[in-house]
Amino acid sequence: MTLNRRDFLKVSAGTSGSLVLALSLPGCSGIQTGFREEEGAWKPDAWLELTTDNKVYFTLARVEMGQGTYTGLTTLIAEELEVDPAAITPKFAPVAPEYRNPLYKLQLTGGSTSIATSWMPLRQAGAEAREMLILAAARVWQVDHSECTAFEGHVRHPNGVDALPYGKLVSLASSETIGHDVSLKPQSEWRYIGKARGRLDARAKSTGTAEYGIDIELPGMVYAVVTRPPRYGARVRSFNSSDIEAMPGVLSVLEIERGVAIVAGKYWQARKAQQELKVEWDNADALGVSTSDVFANYHKAADDDAGARERDDGDFAGAAAGAERILEASYEQPYLAHATLEPMNATAWYHGDSMEVWAPTQAPDLGRIAAARVSDLSPDDISINTTFLGGGFGRRLTQDYIEEAAAVAYSLKTPVKVIWSREEDTRHDLYRPAMLHRMKASISGGEVTGWHHQVVGPQILDWYVRNAAPAQYPWSPKFLYDTLGKVGLMAEGIATPKDISAIEGAIDYPYKVANVEVRHTRTDPGVPVTWWRSVGYSHNGFAAETFMDELAHETGKDPYEFRRALIAHQPRHREVLDRVAAMSGWETPAPSGRARGVALFQSFGTYVAQVVEASIENDGIHVHRVWCAVDCGQVVNPEIVRDQIEGGIIFGLTAALHGEITLQEGEIQQSNFHDYPLMRNYELPEIAVDIVDSDETPTGVGEPGVPPVIPALGNALFALTGERQRKLPLKAAT
Amino acid sequence: MALSLTVNGEKRTLEVDGDTPLLWVIRDELGLKGTKFGCGAGLCGACTVHLDGQPVRSCSTPVDLVSGRSVTTIEGLASGDELHPLQKAWVEHGVPQCGYCQSGQIMTAANLLEHNPAANRDDIVAALSGNLCRCGTYSKIIAAVESVASQDPVDREGA
Repeated sequence: MTLNRRDFLKVSAGTSGSLVLALSLPGCSGIQTGFREEEGAWKPDAWLELTTDNKVYFTLARVEMGQGTYTGLTTLIAEELEVDPAAITPKFAPVAPEYRNPLYKLQLTGGSTSIATSWMPLRQAGAEAREMLILAAARVWQVDHSECTAFEGHVRHPNGVDALPYGKLVSLASSETIGHDVSLKPQSEWRYIGKARGRLDARAKSTGTAEYGIDIELPGMVYAVVTRPPRYGARVRSFNSSDIEAMPGVLSVLEIERGVAIVAGKYWQARKAQQELKVEWDNADALGVSTSDVFANYHKAADDDAGARERDDGDFAGAAAGAERILEASYEQPYLAHATLEPMNATAWYHGDSMEVWAPTQAPDLGRIAAARVSDLSPDDISINTTFLGGGFGRRLTQDYIEEAAAVAYSLKTPVKVIWSREEDTRHDLYRPAMLHRMKASISGGEVTGWHHQVVGPQILDWYVRNAAPAQYPWSPKFLYDTLGKVGLMAEGIATPKDISAIEGAIDYPYKVANVEVRHTRTDPGVPVTWWRSVGYSHNGFAAETFMDELAHETGKDPYEFRRALIAHQPRHREVLDRVAAMSGWETPAPSGRARGVALFQSFGTYVAQVVEASIENDGIHVHRVWCAVDCGQVVNPEIVRDQIEGGIIFGLTAALHGEITLQEGEIQQSNFHDYPLMRNYELPEIAVDIVDSDETPTGVGEPGVPPVIPALGNALFALTGERQRKLPLKAAT
Repeated sequence: MALSLTVNGEKRTLEVDGDTPLLWVIRDELGLKGTKFGCGAGLCGACTVHLDGQPVRSCSTPVDLVSGRSVTTIEGLASGDELHPLQKAWVEHGVPQCGYCQSGQIMTAANLLEHNPAANRDDIVAALSGNLCRCGTYSKIIAAVESVASQDPVDREGA
């Protein structure tokens, strides 16, 4: 097959390492490929750019928010291109169809999918560019291309002596066509994958030179702060505009959809003016619930509606009817904030017929929709410049901060940066939903015969479709945005998979129990929610793995042996479970005054088992040690895998020990790190991570470290105190 | 008001409201973006700089208190192209994830080692517990600082 490099290639793995290439429609491709004489640069595809002066640029289509795409994805393409990853300069991608995440059909970074979805396409892109460079060199030397090899940015002559650097070949290579299958390198020849250490962004991030959204500086730029309603859904009725306009440095005070924006020459002038702003809110449609109402309503909903049956193996009702015993428990988890250390911010510049936005966003194509909605532009008129992200964790999938900057910029016609305070960031987040879980198990003859899990709470996509639907259908007229969002048809089962955000980790209950029923009672209290690192797994993991622990104790079994006996049919689960038991010395007693708990959980295709060792001292929970075994398939960068799992453990422990957002009559009660604390250095346990050697396809590591540590800690506290805690966060005294 | 201060060894004179936090002066008036805004309340440490050799939270330090004094930011830590030993250790250990807190972490650690070159693990943890990291890089932070702390053990018992 002959390939035209201007076509957009869709690549999938064929047998024995060769590749099957399939052409798909180029769509409204924004990326021009080919050789540009005037710039001395060749773009073989949407990702790579090689220059005549031997530079290699790589367009990074998955944003870098700490999870390591900057290093990991660069490593993938470097391996096949035969260039040291450190010699490649990554650039953040503009919005273009080529850069969409194939799983979501949107250009978003989330779901621990970056390595998994890039594993084949990026290596293939690297291999094809390498092959074209080899063909070019072979043509220069008049030798058989199959006898030439590539190494460290050069093509080597069959004589083993002569070599040409890529820079000398790019012009020629651009007109080569590949008339044969291009093979990916066998694993035995990998130089970087599985071996790479360190991070390509470490130097910039250790010298203060990495540029985050908040660091953007533009000529004539002004600053805006936005006062949003204390109760979600309230609208501005009136405000003391003229008082504020008279304050030092204030340039403009304007009402936008999301509140009142104050624009000033300097950030601090805007903040000071904001202290004097008095807004009267119209609370007719405002949220009015308190946390206690949320849970009371969840319990009522659970009583009234058994919920949609999301999994039904065997006959739970029958098993329960004939059981010797039924064990029941319900678990509650609070709302949680993301608390990225870089608060929400965005900078926008409206030029009349176009707008440019700079922002730390996980979904730049959705950022365009948000900016289009509040201006007279269409998404194609808006460009989004993505920066480094000071944390994401799902928060930056929602584009409210871009919407604000765009709305102010549209009105002002000068570049404007909107910065949220920490208090605003905490109070105007979209939260990990509060959830209720009702668990039931039937027990006969000392064995679990049935498992019933009723998940009670909202579905995240209901909150997300407003931006997502138009981004998938950019041809849709703007007046349809709200309709598309409300209908949500595009997002429900048609264009994207069914939303399992509430039930993931519940429907895939892995243990060998004959009768399993999982239901979702869908009820939404109206509190804004979104994805939060590990999403549904974060709460279903706590419910399922705590209840498993309850069942172990109820049937008089060791919690590790109990799980092990029920997971024999799942070798990857069992391997990580056995490993963590060995690592932690599960068979030997914990040191005096401490106890251990175990949990086993698969999420995002990755298998994780953890043991936590904890004590209660001076009225506080002390987490001393965490052991973790992880199977994420093939590993691109072992150090980053370890970092992500360890970071996930700390993220999970932060939730287990400290995390709680509460509402009082519609208002969020927390504001900053004194009342929404994050784990600090002195609380750090000793963490050991063991990674399983695997030939399986790579799976995600950004999130899977989070879910099991929460039940593992709770289970350790039960072993310590004999008191079962079924509500998060965990307490030292119950 | 006009005020003068020395930043990274260079004398700077500015026209700025005296109650403006030093953080925003450093970032927006002087264009040194390496010092970060995290909480505005001295709770997270992302904005840590050295003021006359002592670590301070620049988000909660009004600039008029800094008049005539000397400030060092992350940009002033290296000597020319030669990174500070802690910055080198940060790169070698691959400490940063999102990286947003790391300027503050490094500035706090640099001050610790200046006053206690042989800091042990407990000293390091105590000094750095005021600096939050949402990504959870704490163990690598400790390892990186330990690698720079003097290899000669100080006889603490005999001291």
